[in-house]
Amino acid sequence: MGIASYFASLNPAGLLGRFPAGIAQGIIWGIMALGVYITFRLLDIADLTVDGSFTTGGAVTVMLILAGWNPWLAILAALLAGILAGMVTGILHTALGIPAILAGILTQFALYSINLAIMGMKANQAVSVDKYYLSITSRNVPAAILIGGLTAAVIIGLLYWYFGTEQGSALRATGCNPVMSRAQGININVMKVLGLALSNGLVALAGGLMAQFQGFSDINMGRGSIVIGLAAVIIGEVIGEATLGKHLNFAGRLAFVVLGGVIYYMVVILVLWLKLDSNMLKLFTAIIVAVFLAVPNLKAHARNSFGRAARNAAAGTSDKEAE
Amino acid sequence: MKNSRKILAAVLTAAMAMGLAACGETAAAPSAASSAAAAPAAATSAAAAPAAATSAAAAASAASGDQKFTVGICQLVQHVALDAATKGFEDSLKAEFGDNITFDLQNAAGDSATCTTICNNFVSEGVDLILANATPALQAAASTTNSIPILGTSITDYGTAMNIDNFSGTVGGNISGTSDLAPLDQQAAMISELFPSAKKVGILYCSAEANSVYQSDVVKKNLEDAGLTVTVYTFADSNDVASVTQTACGENDVLYIPTDNTAASCTEAINNVAQPAGIPIVCGEEGICKGCGVATLSIDYYELGKTTGAMAAKILKGEADISTMPVEYYQNPVKEYNPDIAKALNVTIPDGYKAIDMSAK
Repeated sequence: MGIASYFASLNPAGLLGRFPAGIAQGIIWGIMALGVYITFRLLDIADLTVDGSFTTGGAVTVMLILAGWNPWLAILAALLAGILAGMVTGILHTALGIPAILAGILTQFALYSINLAIMGMKANQAVSVDKYYLSITSRNVPAAILIGGLTAAVIIGLLYWYFGTEQGSALRATGCNPVMSRAQGININVMKVLGLALSNGLVALAGGLMAQFQGFSDINMGRGSIVIGLAAVIIGEVIGEATLGKHLNFAGRLAFVVLGGVIYYMVVILVLWLKLDSNMLKLFTAIIVAVFLAVPNLKAHARNSFGRAARNAAAGTSDKEAE
Repeated sequence: MKNSRKILAAVLTAAMAMGLAACGETAAAPSAASSAAAAPAAATSAAAAPAAATSAAAAASAASGDQKFTVGICQLVQHVALDAATKGFEDSLKAEFGDNITFDLQNAAGDSATCTTICNNFVSEGVDLILANATPALQAAASTTNSIPILGTSITDYGTAMNIDNFSGTVGGNISGTSDLAPLDQQAAMISELFPSAKKVGILYCSAEANSVYQSDVVKKNLEDAGLTVTVYTFADSNDVASVTQTACGENDVLYIPTDNTAASCTEAINNVAQPAGIPIVCGEEGICKGCGVATLSIDYYELGKTTGAMAAKILKGEADISTMPVEYYQNPVKEYNPDIAKALNVTIPDGYKAIDMSAK
């Protein structure tokens, strides 16, 4: 295909039409990313449980809806299931002394079997919007954006309130400086378990929304969700800091994390719209995430006066190139 | 720094504005019900209004133009069998419509969530028909629209995939398609025919695949009715394949593998265990048999895709109503055997079996 015909085959109006569904999906991943934010940023733990607990949330929600539950109650049950999963990771990490990253991987591994069991030993369970009342569905995208957005807003509000309480502040302090926190009388092990439980609860809740949105839960639906979650957190932070700078408060940060999820999905849609070989989709996504991860770091490095002095000394030039 | 901050802010604003504009576009589309031939049965849920509106507009433009059609193809993962089905589908429709048909082929690279993104894209662009290749693709498409016709292919059991109790053979609504199910009773009979002295049969598949569970259940029942002892072995992903196969080989006389995508990608690993152990494997499809099996009842996915394409042509031309089209099955499964492995294991192949062409791997 020639370059001209390639550009002619792209349809700008089509791209616009694709965005709403991407926004809806992005918001759900954004809620999931709020969970990742709690562990990754507040607790300073890279928790890999989420690949499993996202599926757990989807599985619990779908099975309960099939059993005739109200979808919102089913999602609350998913939240509880996620909290349990997070507690397992937390206990493996704190009480048994397993390194956090390994504890997460272990739980995620175990959850594969548990998720299968939840879904009646089946890999995939469908929940049709035509037969069941669902809280969110890809059949009705504007409503999905509204409901997803409201859910995200409520969760952000609750998190903002919670992390302002004494316990929430203690949890944040644990992530910032565990040694100092312990010296202040905070039980940092309890705080870590709490943070992991809360985080995985949110992830499972997002899994429950996603399963309803896509109309099924699948044993593999959580695969790679940690990458999407981290991407959303980091994209959100980079953009939040670039636009609001020092005015970015905690609630703003959380809102930008959700926005990060939306932007991530915009990128996916752009890649698909550009008709780039979809076999390369994961490579492109990884590159985009890597760029967002690297930019703040490289910028900080460039502004770092010691680093600049070292480079100047080595090269013997002015610092113009550094910018 | 200040500049880059401004640029970022501008990009962000633009992105949000585009998103809003896009919302408006969808919402503002006329909500009149479609009268075009390509549109299927009426919407069953009020929630479907935006989707129905988009497809109505698209169908109308297709009808007023020179009958040009766009077909969106959502394929779950890169896979020999799925690729062949897609190819057969495209070839069949190209033969029918020539230049008047365009395909938008999108591959979700194994991510079920991407299937939803892709299907949403198809709906927003108002394609005339969606081909959903593999189960999660079909479920995602079904969840996305109840107005654009959806044909599934490479789906083993529509009852399981769509969560339909007492599946009658017709899905109804805007969904139909083709099944890649080779007659399971014939596959079970094949095991008894080839290995009359076998007493214990192991069934091996990936626990992550809904289709495999169904096939395993049916074959297990057939074999047990024939008086054999059946044990099921599942692996979670390609990492466990070798060790699970090892266990299965140690405890059985013959193994059976259904049309399992994960097994299909690990045939070498399975063969490396089973062949030295001297355990023959009967498979659900040719691709797996070529890698590690002795015999199979073969489904040609290319032909299956062509059958699906013929169904699509009828729907696009308005000759058939998808809501009443029953799911079609592959008609002429062929008994095939793997000459290399049969020779290595000294299995005598009766007449009526066709040797698999091992060169075209």
